Amino acid sequence: MSGEIDVIGSFATEEMCVHAIEELKDARIKPTRVFAPIPSEHINHALGYGRSPVRALVLTGGITGILTGFAVTIGTSMEWWLNAGGKPIVSLPPFIIIAFELMILFGGTSAVLGFLLNSRMPQLDPLPGYSERFSSDRFGVLVRCAESEKDRVEGILKEAGAETVAHQAA
Amino acid sequence: MSSHSEPSKPARPVSPDDVKIPAGVVGTLGVLTAVGVVAFIAALSAGLSQRVWEIFLVNLLFFLGVAQAGVAASAAFYLTQARWAGQVQYRLAEAFVAFLPVGFVLFWGLYIGRIEIFPWILHPIPDKESWLNTPFLFARDGLGLFIITVLSLWFVKASRSEEAMEWTADSANIKMPPRPIRRLAPAIGIAYVLVYTLLAFDLVMSLSPLWRSTLFGWYFFAGAWWSALVVMALIAVLLGRRLPAGNVFSRPNVLHDYGKLVFAFSVFWVYTLFAQYIVIWYGDIPIETFFIVVRDHYMPWMPLSWSAFVLVWVIPFTVLMGARPKRTPAILGTVATLGIIGLWLERYVLVVPSLSPHKVPFGWVEALMTLGFLGLFGLCSLPGMKRVIAAASSTAVGESE
Amino acid sequence: MAAAAKPVSGPTYADIDRGVRKIMEAPGLAYWAWVGFCFTLVAIAAALWTRQIYEGLGVTGLRQGPMWAMYITNFVFWVGIAHSGTLISAILYLFRTRWRTAVYRVAETMTLFAVLTAGLFPIIHVGRPWYAYWLLPYPNERSLQPDFRSPLVWDAFAVSTYLTISALFLIMGLIPDVANARDVAKGWRKVLYSIVSLGWQGTDTQWQHWSMAYLLLAGLATPLVLSVHSVVSWDFAMAQLPGWHSTIFAPYFVAGAIFSGVAMVLTLVIPMRKIMHLEDLITDWHLDSLAKVILLTGLIVTYSYGIESFMVWYSKDPIEMMTFHERYFGYHGWVFWVCIFCNCIVPLALFSPRIRRNTVLLFIITIFVNIGMWFERFMIVAVSQENNFNPSQWAIYHPSITEIMITVGSFGWFLGLFSLFARFMPIISMTELKEGIHWLREAVRDDYYPGLK
Repeated sequence: MSGEIDVIGSFATEEMCVHAIEELKDARIKPTRVFAPIPSEHINHALGYGRSPVRALVLTGGITGILTGFAVTIGTSMEWWLNAGGKPIVSLPPFIIIAFELMILFGGTSAVLGFLLNSRMPQLDPLPGYSERFSSDRFGVLVRCAESEKDRVEGILKEAGAETVAHQAA
Repeated sequence: MSSHSEPSKPARPVSPDDVKIPAGVVGTLGVLTAVGVVAFIAALSAGLSQRVWEIFLVNLLFFLGVAQAGVAASAAFYLTQARWAGQVQYRLAEAFVAFLPVGFVLFWGLYIGRIEIFPWILHPIPDKESWLNTPFLFARDGLGLFIITVLSLWFVKASRSEEAMEWTADSANIKMPPRPIRRLAPAIGIAYVLVYTLLAFDLVMSLSPLWRSTLFGWYFFAGAWWSALVVMALIAVLLGRRLPAGNVFSRPNVLHDYGKLVFAFSVFWVYTLFAQYIVIWYGDIPIETFFIVVRDHYMPWMPLSWSAFVLVWVIPFTVLMGARPKRTPAILGTVATLGIIGLWLERYVLVVPSLSPHKVPFGWVEALMTLGFLGLFGLCSLPGMKRVIAAASSTAVGESE
Repeated sequence: MAAAAKPVSGPTYADIDRGVRKIMEAPGLAYWAWVGFCFTLVAIAAALWTRQIYEGLGVTGLRQGPMWAMYITNFVFWVGIAHSGTLISAILYLFRTRWRTAVYRVAETMTLFAVLTAGLFPIIHVGRPWYAYWLLPYPNERSLQPDFRSPLVWDAFAVSTYLTISALFLIMGLIPDVANARDVAKGWRKVLYSIVSLGWQGTDTQWQHWSMAYLLLAGLATPLVLSVHSVVSWDFAMAQLPGWHSTIFAPYFVAGAIFSGVAMVLTLVIPMRKIMHLEDLITDWHLDSLAKVILLTGLIVTYSYGIESFMVWYSKDPIEMMTFHERYFGYHGWVFWVCIFCNCIVPLALFSPRIRRNTVLLFIITIFVNIGMWFERFMIVAVSQENNFNPSQWAIYHPSITEIMITVGSFGWFLGLFSLFARFMPIISMTELKEGIHWLREAVRDDYYPGLK
């Protein structure tokens, strides 16, 4: 986009990164992206994120699993009416076990699928602003802003303790 | 007790001696106890001795279970270095310890009522006489209870030491608890498992002397463990509301942690229940199945067993699954109350159908004696509760994670 | 205002990265010799299995009476090993246990490969392995379906679910770490890591969804730890055979699984730590904590032995009493006493903090535990069947060379796969160690036993 640049500040600790995000928020600038080597509730909180929708997907998956479990077991038992060991045709105690396992299987697969879909992974190309140190020991705050804002943003990042501040064309 | 909202004060520990339990509370508990004693005597005089001793046993098992499992929970907290509520979680778990010696004394009441409780006294089973006979049973159970009562009192004393309280205050390190605790806590854990397995086999399983289940002891003390957790959760909810603002129990994180314990161990209880059920159901061996079917399949006991199941597992599991319900005092408190009733009912359903398979004996005898036990348990717990209130009210407690 | 960086003592993020990345450098000859040895054992086992498929199960020692023996013992043993991995990675994650971070990836990897090993054994054990798919429900002309009332079918579902969930959980945890490795790798490694990490770049959105998915997976994997080994134990408990039909089996097997599994984790971690100089990442505190888990579960196993024996005596059932008499004093009675020694007596040494922190002694104890737990499975599975209800079926089980070498081969398979993973993938979770760096620094200070030093 013409006139827009990416300003990337690199921070050595989580605290400084969170501080920078809050300073930016105070200045009514929203960070475009934050890179971190560790999961951080503080960063999420500072960015104002609510709960991930992956939860709902897992719940759906789990319930589907239970229903499938009972459907398969009860359905197939009734298809071939065989008395095995004097147990009732529709024997719930063992069927509970199958339903339970399928609940976990479907729930777990939904969790992973939900994660991949929501994060838009696999992410084939490197995202703008990414640096190799962000997977190791640095936190990155990326702000996409107009050329004119660049100095103000850089100033905020430096004041918050950025080790380095880089910029590149968007 | 009136609670004022005060502006947050700098940390000033409150001493248990400064805590005043309202006279109304003490009075009510005293009256309940007296009522129980009167009912006990009246029922015995009226010739209702079987009902008296049945309900005596049920209540003894339930309330001793809460008190003892509370101490075991404190030991477990030390062993897992749990400091999510600082000193308070330990004081609350240990609050009921004074009931243990009282329970030990009450245990000997079973000797007086033994003919009503143990079918194998009037109808001895020849093969089993070497284990199921009066002197040996009372000697071993008495000794077990004695040992664990002494250990518990010793442990709680160590837990109330300066060193231990200092340790509970700071959770930002990986330090182990002080040495006396490091010695006593595992001993409590082992004693709890062994003694309560023994009590389960002798005082519950032997009431149907032909039945056996290897998991029964574990199932029994897992239920007792849960009963202590729900009592703690309920007290946490009640005190959170009544104590001055800013007290430890008013923190949602603390309630969340109690809620997680209630949830998780409710699931463990149902797991031990299902593990017995599925094995006995599948094998379909009459000497094993009769115990279960009297309780869960035939009237009059079926509705009571299923109610206990709903109260102890279905409700806690479905209601407390999310994070928010666990943090809501009203919800956690309701589930805990229902859970306490549920586990009491479960103990009732374990004991009484063996002695009275076709009739549910529940009337004034059972109700009043249960209230009596409740009153006595409450009175014994008052000193411990004062410590809890003192610890919870002072703002000088450790960080919760 | 700029927040000044506080001076820090102890390892930094960069230290953690350095320590773990060193493990992933090109290994030397000794390593390849070891891997070669492992897979040679696998090749021998494979050859013997091929012979077994061709000639039939008669080449084994299986017979009427002991129809389930070494193969099923191995199945239960390896599934048991797997469970402790999930306990450490999932359950202790939910408990926010602080010492979990350095060892959880080793444990979870161990789980995956143990399940892969365990899953082979039912297939090895059946006479016509090409029909193994009959265990799963699929539409067919005769409407034949698996009997869901059978514990063997529960097993198929439980173990497949466990394999899938463990693999997913491991991969989820690996993604950020492999991205870390990708960023410093070159050549074919960079390609491999890029594929496995799925382009992970640690953005806020990615972390948000990752954390939720990881937490929920941990929550789902938790009941698996209890349920899968309970289902495996019910393979036996559902039968009416004395020695098998016992309600305590489910939690007893789960405790035993964690017991043998954590011992196996230590068996792997102690040499790994020594060879690759990881003492500052996997500290004495981590080993001490794992040892305490072994002690606790060992006590539970001891309790279970006691209860089982007591209940047999209490029941006065003549057949059960006969079975247990044979278990203690019969032809295979020595197995029981090996179990008592290895599982009940040896772990008591772990009550001593000095022994827990002595890596040599700890390693030896874990070997004893693994031997004891293998024999315990053998005792329960095979020896119980030697004296069943029908005297004409009474028979002693004698293992054949096929079964012994396949057992040995299974260890080769497991250790070989684990060794390959450990050198080419991040075997310690850099991400989680960094997340919990405060506790790592505490551990390195090593002063958490007041009054001990």
